[in-house]
Amino acid sequence: MDHKLDALFNPRNIAVIGASNNQLKAGYTVIYNLNQIGYPGGVFPVTRSKEEILGRRCYEKLSEIEAEIDLVVLGTAAPLIYEIMADLEVRMAKYNDVKVIVCIAADYGETKTAEGIRRQECLTRTAGRYGIRVVGPNCIGVIDNINRVDTTFVETLIPAEMRGRRGGISFISQSGAMAASILMIGASQPAPISMNKFVSIGNMADVDCIDLLEYFEADPDTKVIGMYLEGYPDGRQLIDSLARIARKKPVVVLKVGRSSIGAQAANSHTGSLAGSDSVYDAAFRQYGIVRAATIEELMDTLQAFDALKLPRGNRCFLLTQAGGPGIYCTDAFMDQGNLRFPKISDATKQAMIRLLPPMANIGSPEGYADITAAATADQHVQSLRLILADDNVDSVLFVTVVPTFLPRRELAEKLAGLLKEITGKPVYICIMAGRYVLESRRILEENGIPTFDTPAHCVRAVGNMTAYNSFLAAHNDTGY
Amino acid sequence: MSRFLNELEARDLLSEYKIPMAKSFLIKEKAELAELNEMMDFPVVMKILSPDIQHKTEAGCVFVGVSGDETEGVYEQILVNAEAYDSLAVIDGILVQELAEKGLEIIVGLKRDPQFGPVIMVGTGGIYVEVFKDVAVRLVPLDREEARRMLEETKLCEIVRGARGMQYDEAELLETLLKISALVTDRPDIEEIDINPLFLYEKGKGVKGVDALIKISE
Repeated sequence: MDHKLDALFNPRNIAVIGASNNQLKAGYTVIYNLNQIGYPGGVFPVTRSKEEILGRRCYEKLSEIEAEIDLVVLGTAAPLIYEIMADLEVRMAKYNDVKVIVCIAADYGETKTAEGIRRQECLTRTAGRYGIRVVGPNCIGVIDNINRVDTTFVETLIPAEMRGRRGGISFISQSGAMAASILMIGASQPAPISMNKFVSIGNMADVDCIDLLEYFEADPDTKVIGMYLEGYPDGRQLIDSLARIARKKPVVVLKVGRSSIGAQAANSHTGSLAGSDSVYDAAFRQYGIVRAATIEELMDTLQAFDALKLPRGNRCFLLTQAGGPGIYCTDAFMDQGNLRFPKISDATKQAMIRLLPPMANIGSPEGYADITAAATADQHVQSLRLILADDNVDSVLFVTVVPTFLPRRELAEKLAGLLKEITGKPVYICIMAGRYVLESRRILEENGIPTFDTPAHCVRAVGNMTAYNSFLAAHNDTGY
Repeated sequence: MSRFLNELEARDLLSEYKIPMAKSFLIKEKAELAELNEMMDFPVVMKILSPDIQHKTEAGCVFVGVSGDETEGVYEQILVNAEAYDSLAVIDGILVQELAEKGLEIIVGLKRDPQFGPVIMVGTGGIYVEVFKDVAVRLVPLDREEARRMLEETKLCEIVRGARGMQYDEAELLETLLKISALVTDRPDIEEIDINPLFLYEKGKGVKGVDALIKISE
């Protein structure tokens, strides 16, 4: 391994200190998750009780495990850190093998108490002596779906057979609770989101955002990087890293703390207008870093970047099956600001007229078509095919509601068929009708085609991808 | 410790970087006024230069539109008013400033952010800056294209490009931003620059800074 953090995502064996047979404890869920994701290496629970945990033999001390340990998950109560670190020294003297510690326990430096800080220093100093990298403390852990590693104590209810699917999203969260929520929300999508790599970084006692960003930058399996960010001590350094990466792959950031605007208000005009959040915002725009305002926008945008080609420009066609949703979508479209309706060719228009029911509205306004509720599944799919083939179109918003007389399964299967065949332009699909269309959405998503909850969600995703493409194009990079 | 440069020092520093500023002369004795006739077009602005008098207008120490034969009287009046306002104030002299032709009021600012370093700003200037909040912000350094994109984020941009018929000198405005960027890169001691208003003139006629505030660390 040429990088210390390789052991974080692809460890040979894992020891879990503070493992437990109590299903309510983090030390149980970590072992459970490692089993469930099908981690291929050895898992060694370390606990005072001698019993087995989920079929894994337990050890009393880290230093007693004979196998080579790359990664140690540390989940014991924080006051025990001193004796655990003493035992780590014994182990390192004997085997010199541990490369990374993921400390999922809390009550360290984040408490800002003298004792909390002392514990954290004990952890980082001992690890530092052996060149061991530390993730956390006060984090929920790490997931790598390609190497089938899950050291988190988050129970997402994803069935075992759906774990370990390949995905291109790598994610960093500064908050454990947000990390857990994002995992759970992701798991609850029509087809669960399976990220490539996922790290909750907690207190950043050692490994911090920039270490991971650089790792993801170089990782060929990471197609898009997501980040939940609260702040970073050296904002300029963070922005410089993000700026460099954004030229190579998209980075989507949910940066919170907008309310801090004005907190740094100084006396001069300049000072009060360039408060910290507005500077973050400006820097994101300046360097092509996508800022998401909500969790939903973050997840939608990440999924879209992962699954879809970048739009070649800002000409986005709105294909709707119903008037109301179409108008609702148009409002969101106009608010988005960076998209415009294209004028399709007369040939496309004529073909649409021939294809669709007589009551269909094609091109009023330009760039918009309402195929109406009379449209069959085939007419849905064929009209989308026609629009995608038009040279004036860079991307398509596809909105449909599913009346009882429209076979929803057939619609999904035919759409999936088309979009697996034609992949050059991104299509943002919203099948509106909640639970009733969950299966349709699942069919599409399992075929690698993202779907969105509402038309407005689609618009944010296409808007963000279009903005990113314009950024690359303006800087003569790989954008169109 | 940090301090504000006085108006004249601020003006000189900006002029060094070729940012056009309204012409100003510091007069320390009344006799020097006579020489001004050669150097300036009248009417002019006259105001006190004193580190102790920040609110010059309030102190009755600013006179706008002073004609050539009024300068001596105004000179004396400013000193009398200054004395009445704060008898202990240190007086560096009287500033005689060109009454710049009015243009579109722009604010150009810079602040060294504790987290991000120098941050540059451009937007709608004048006394209602805080009300309109029509400004865009960028990290330094920036190139011409980025300066243009920054301007395009403001509502001001439409006006500059001729919303009301008159096209303003966008190129020179962008140039000014680049000069500020260069200045702050050379001078790490600069904490803040605030040029408000910077008058922007018709296309081809450039810009002219009227009031400038610069804060430096020592």
